[in-house]
Amino acid sequence: MPIKTILVIEDDRFIGEMYVRSLKKAGYEVDWMVGGNDGLIAARNKKYDLILLDIMLPERRGSEIMDALRGDKDLIPGTKVIIITNFEQDEESRMAMESGADAYLIKAEITPKKLLDVIANLG
Amino acid sequence: MAEPFNKPLMRDYWAKYRWRTYVIITTAQAATMFVIIGVMELFGIVHVGWIGLLIATLLASLALNLVTVTLVHIIGRPFRDLVQAIVLVAGEPTSASPPNPNHYEYDNDGFKEILQTVYELAARETKIEQPPAPTLDATVQAGLANMNTGIVFMDGDMNITYYNEAAPVQPDTDGKPALAVYFPEDDTLEKWLTKTVQNKLTADHQWTRVADRLPGEKDRRIFDIAASYSKKSSAETVIVFLNRTHDYMPEEDDLDFISFAAHELRGPITVIRGYLDVLADELQPVLHNDQSELMERLIVASNRLNSYINNILNAARYDRRHLKLHLSEENVQQIYDQIADDMQMRASTQNRVLVTDIPPTLPTVAADANSIGEVIGNLIDNAIKYSNEGGLIHVVARPTPGFVEVSVTDRGIGMPNNVIANLFHKFYRSHRSRETVAGTGIGLYICKAIVSSHGGSITARSVENEGSTFSFTIPIYDTVADKIKAGNNSNLALIEHGSGWIKNHSMYRG
Repeated sequence: MPIKTILVIEDDRFIGEMYVRSLKKAGYEVDWMVGGNDGLIAARNKKYDLILLDIMLPERRGSEIMDALRGDKDLIPGTKVIIITNFEQDEESRMAMESGADAYLIKAEITPKKLLDVIANLG
Repeated sequence: MAEPFNKPLMRDYWAKYRWRTYVIITTAQAATMFVIIGVMELFGIVHVGWIGLLIATLLASLALNLVTVTLVHIIGRPFRDLVQAIVLVAGEPTSASPPNPNHYEYDNDGFKEILQTVYELAARETKIEQPPAPTLDATVQAGLANMNTGIVFMDGDMNITYYNEAAPVQPDTDGKPALAVYFPEDDTLEKWLTKTVQNKLTADHQWTRVADRLPGEKDRRIFDIAASYSKKSSAETVIVFLNRTHDYMPEEDDLDFISFAAHELRGPITVIRGYLDVLADELQPVLHNDQSELMERLIVASNRLNSYINNILNAARYDRRHLKLHLSEENVQQIYDQIADDMQMRASTQNRVLVTDIPPTLPTVAADANSIGEVIGNLIDNAIKYSNEGGLIHVVARPTPGFVEVSVTDRGIGMPNNVIANLFHKFYRSHRSRETVAGTGIGLYICKAIVSSHGGSITARSVENEGSTFSFTIPIYDTVADKIKAGNNSNLALIEHGSGWIKNHSMYRG
């Protein structure tokens, strides 16, 4: 199923805005949440095709959001999750991947152009 | 007790034999010379006189003696080695090292097999004579049991016959005690013992910073390990595990600091690289050529900064044995495609010509795509640094038995042979490179770490003022597919499910 709607949960405003700008320009419908709590509420209120999920978030960490989403059985099917973090080889990211995320990207390695390629291939 | 010392020692035989041989041959030669010259004197063929005859005989003897010593040394070598081998396997004390059956001179004439047979017979005899597992005196056993240092005894078949509580020993799949530590892939206990048993009667070896659990796992211990091997001993291999967790753990905390520092640095780099990407795209229609070039230089600089951070992080992880691989079936062309734009831009902004030759028919490889991309990137960066304006850089991939080889060739300043030997050491920079090019000397170190952790190798060839070629190999996927599939396609799973002390370690970088 092609990806149309995307939720970005990212606390760094520069990075969040960068993704949102590129994704919108590429034609996606994008919502952006800065905090972990707002991110989880947004993910529960609306069905997104894709969630870009940071790990180091205020209020609620990405791995906790991932666990909560996995707990909502009707939520995860049909919603893809990409973990975006600048931590590499850490236990938390690995656990998030094992919770059912579809990809794990190092933000510094993924420019917006490359992110669009990854999303296109995911869809 | 005194009786054995009254017997002639076998180890002295060769010296006696050699001197006796010298004396016999030299005397025979002198007598022959004396008779021949004497007869010639008698018949008037030469006129040296009897004093001349004695002097000629003496001189000829001296000259022939030198030849004799050399000939005995060469011709007698197998006999000497045979005697030495028998002395050693008999257990007579000697400072001589065991003759090596693999010496090149013994390759083809059957003597290699003779020496090996001596060793094998000795080993066989050991098995027959060896008493059952050694029994320890109650006091010794109590002392060892209470030690904080791990002690393990192994018999000639590498079975554990004794271990104390502090030793990292776990039952294997058959319920037998087995060492449960992660030796470095290229230097496992098994590899060392296999080689030692074949060639040595006694040997010692040490390892540092060997962990019994993975980073992050509870109760992880880190040991320095010393092993001693002594053929025919009732405990052939004794292994001592010195628990140095408290010394090494602070360094692990340093790694946390490095990881956090890298995370903090990566934040701004993500923004810089990302916005440059956005700007380059959005401004493309309005930028002049020279402005586009400036933009490209910014992108290249930010990409290189990111590479440096990766190198530092990887080197810190590798040194602390924390570097992990996620091996999967990969196509070399696709790995290169991930970095192709970046590399092309790095080359063109510095006026180098980058050409690739990666055949589509190459077999797939078992690789961690990101890590191999970093290796190729480092090698291309080096080629750019050490070549001249307009220089050609050639990236070639080709199949070799069991592997795919990737080479990066430049026509730059090259380097002498004495530099090549040190190239892959951390922070190594040749005198010339320090003078001509900025850098840290960490790139090739991490290249080697990543490649050898894949089970491949990396080499350099160079001619001064003509250029250099760096080549590395990665295993073809089919050759390791079973191992990877058994580990559920994740190196981490492979390690966690491993039951032995050598199994699957290759999947763990560092």
